[in-house]
Amino acid sequence: MKIKNIFTYCFISSLFLFSLICIWKILVTLQGIELTNFNFNKIFIFGIILCAINLLIGKKLNLNIKITILALLFSIFDYFISINLPIWYSIGIFLISLFFFNNIKNYDRNFLSKNHSSQKLFFNFLTLFGITLFSFVILFPFYMMLVTSFKTQALLLLNPLDFSINFTKGLPELFKSYFIVFKDYNFGRYMLTSTIVSLGTVIITLIFAIPAAYAVARLNFFGKNFLSTSILIIYLFPAIVLVIPLYTIFSQLGLRNSIQGLLIVYTATTLPVAIYMLQGYFKSIPKELEEAGIIDGQNWLGIIFKIILPLSLPAISSVALYVFMIAWNEFLFSLMFLDRPNTFTLSRAIQFLNVGAETPRQYLMAGSVVVTLPILIIFVYFEKYLVSGLTAGSVKG
Amino acid sequence: MASIKIDKVNKYFGSTHVIKDVSLDIKSESFTVLVGPSGCGKSTILRMIAGLEEINSGTISIDDKVVNDLPPKERNIAMVFQSYALYPHMTVFDNMAFGLKIEKKSKEEIEQRVMEAAKILQIEEYLERKPKQLSGGQRQRVAIGRAITRKPKVFLFDEPLSNLDAALRVQMRVELAKLHDQLNATMIYVTHDQTEAMTLANDIVVLDQGIVSQKGSPMNLYNKPDNLFVGGFIGSPKMNFIDSKILSKTSKSSEVDIMGTGKLSVPKISENIKEGDNIKIGIRPEHLILNANTDSLWESKVFVVEKLGSGTYLYLEKEGDPLVVQTDGDTNIKVGDTVKIGFDPFRCHLFDNKGISFKNS
Repeated sequence: MKIKNIFTYCFISSLFLFSLICIWKILVTLQGIELTNFNFNKIFIFGIILCAINLLIGKKLNLNIKITILALLFSIFDYFISINLPIWYSIGIFLISLFFFNNIKNYDRNFLSKNHSSQKLFFNFLTLFGITLFSFVILFPFYMMLVTSFKTQALLLLNPLDFSINFTKGLPELFKSYFIVFKDYNFGRYMLTSTIVSLGTVIITLIFAIPAAYAVARLNFFGKNFLSTSILIIYLFPAIVLVIPLYTIFSQLGLRNSIQGLLIVYTATTLPVAIYMLQGYFKSIPKELEEAGIIDGQNWLGIIFKIILPLSLPAISSVALYVFMIAWNEFLFSLMFLDRPNTFTLSRAIQFLNVGAETPRQYLMAGSVVVTLPILIIFVYFEKYLVSGLTAGSVKG
Repeated sequence: MASIKIDKVNKYFGSTHVIKDVSLDIKSESFTVLVGPSGCGKSTILRMIAGLEEINSGTISIDDKVVNDLPPKERNIAMVFQSYALYPHMTVFDNMAFGLKIEKKSKEEIEQRVMEAAKILQIEEYLERKPKQLSGGQRQRVAIGRAITRKPKVFLFDEPLSNLDAALRVQMRVELAKLHDQLNATMIYVTHDQTEAMTLANDIVVLDQGIVSQKGSPMNLYNKPDNLFVGGFIGSPKMNFIDSKILSKTSKSSEVDIMGTGKLSVPKISENIKEGDNIKIGIRPEHLILNANTDSLWESKVFVVEKLGSGTYLYLEKEGDPLVVQTDGDTNIKVGDTVKIGFDPFRCHLFDNKGISFKNS
């Protein structure tokens, strides 16, 4: 066992526990509980001691029993140094320390006697730390949004940072904001518009992108190299640069306040990336398959529809998903081009409610949840396609 | 079935001249193997016959009908690819039926033809599987099956066995030979493996840098190579080449120098040579005789011994490439031994300084 390894282990793991406790304490303060003393130095030192004990016990004890005992020890210690706190605070501490000791349960003297174990430790904790921190940063606002949408106006005025959800009044009362958002604020209509715009963009983009990507990947024509490398040039121009000229053009053509106008802009912005992703995937399909198709007597259209498309389904679905997300979340163009409420998309509608100032916050948050939820569900479900499609394109692109 | 005539065909890839004025006659129902090192243009010729590659000049005709401008499907050919090129999203049955479905054959006929092909290739039990659930050999069978179902006039094989392991390759080779007998079809087969060429072919076409080096039956190519390239390419291990010189010449025989240490009298080779001309002697490893008391011509030191069981290859020191000798499997010659070597003058091949065999000059 190396001194350096033990030192690194104790220090890093105690630091990690410390940062977890800090996050918890911040949340607790937001709940209106006044912490008179944070006891940071005591927690840090006790953390080091517990980590050392964990090391000493090693695998002599059943691992589950070990982590429970250590977590209990830590919670009791914390309970005694911080007086007069509600029981849910201590339960939180217990769960956090359980999570922490579960992560370090496998480190024993054997592990630390190896040469590279301090580096390994360091990276393990770096990963853990990154995951916890970023999931906190991302999930916490989302949780705030959700909680706020479940509140009443009175409760919000009383304590806007209360994290608890009151289930006692029953579901209809809980989801009241959602009913109002759909009934009084016309969110059903906005949702329909958003769906039409997003699906429309997906369909139009695919109709153009598939033949274009196939041409770039397989056919020889003048300027092919230039075209395939310059596809992404459009992204050199920030949308804000394009939006004002487009505004004047669309005004003159009468495309403002119309779904068609949005479809044109969205397709134009998503098409390059769609072509780029698809052509990379098409290139990875062996040419012999197409030649076999030709020998079998298939024409070009048949080859695309019966061989290329079925084989590219992962790539196509990931492109579709990507385009759908872009179109669903798009805000700048819809803000500029839509000013009549009957053509609003969801993101534009939220902004409209927000600027209106009179709108109670819980309705705004309910609206935000309505915008986020579909994309979240779709993403969680199709995530594996998205990732495989993206990498397939990038490796061979 | 169909005969194929290739007449003065040229092909350029950009400025590279890949196929140079190639003319070939492929007989109906024959098994012709195009063989040569990589980059010699053998696959290109096959793809031109298939219609996957355009022809820059010259004509290709199938059954006396020029097919230069016909699309592949109207040429009545089927092709088996090196990578199998099975459609991964279709079952074996659908793979084999794909071409027939495009031809809009009736359902019964498709089923009957696929079953027939599956029976010949013994893949009936795999018909419902997807290609990824099959082993390499089974996949290759399906690829061949896909060709058979369409009952083409000509089968084209593009190195179909090179993705298989050695044992399977031998097995599939035998099956291909059997298949040719069963189907009586014209088959053209591309390979870089001279063993496949020797065992399968009625006719071998040896290609070298876009030209036909020699065409003929396997034994003809083995016994009477037209040039150094064919001599070296056909046969394994490779033919040994010894630089030599004409020492003297009479009307009946010529005397040539062997490694500066011996002399050999060979039957008269040509009118056009003079004393002192440089020539090359080609002698196959299996025709060299070791330690025979008579006619031993020179001595050399062994530096590598390769025991294969059925035979042994000895590598002997020589200027330039080593000399390879094939001898018995249970020989006790060791590395470092000095052996006497000789050969029968009638067994050797003589080439002039341009590498052309004297039998033609």
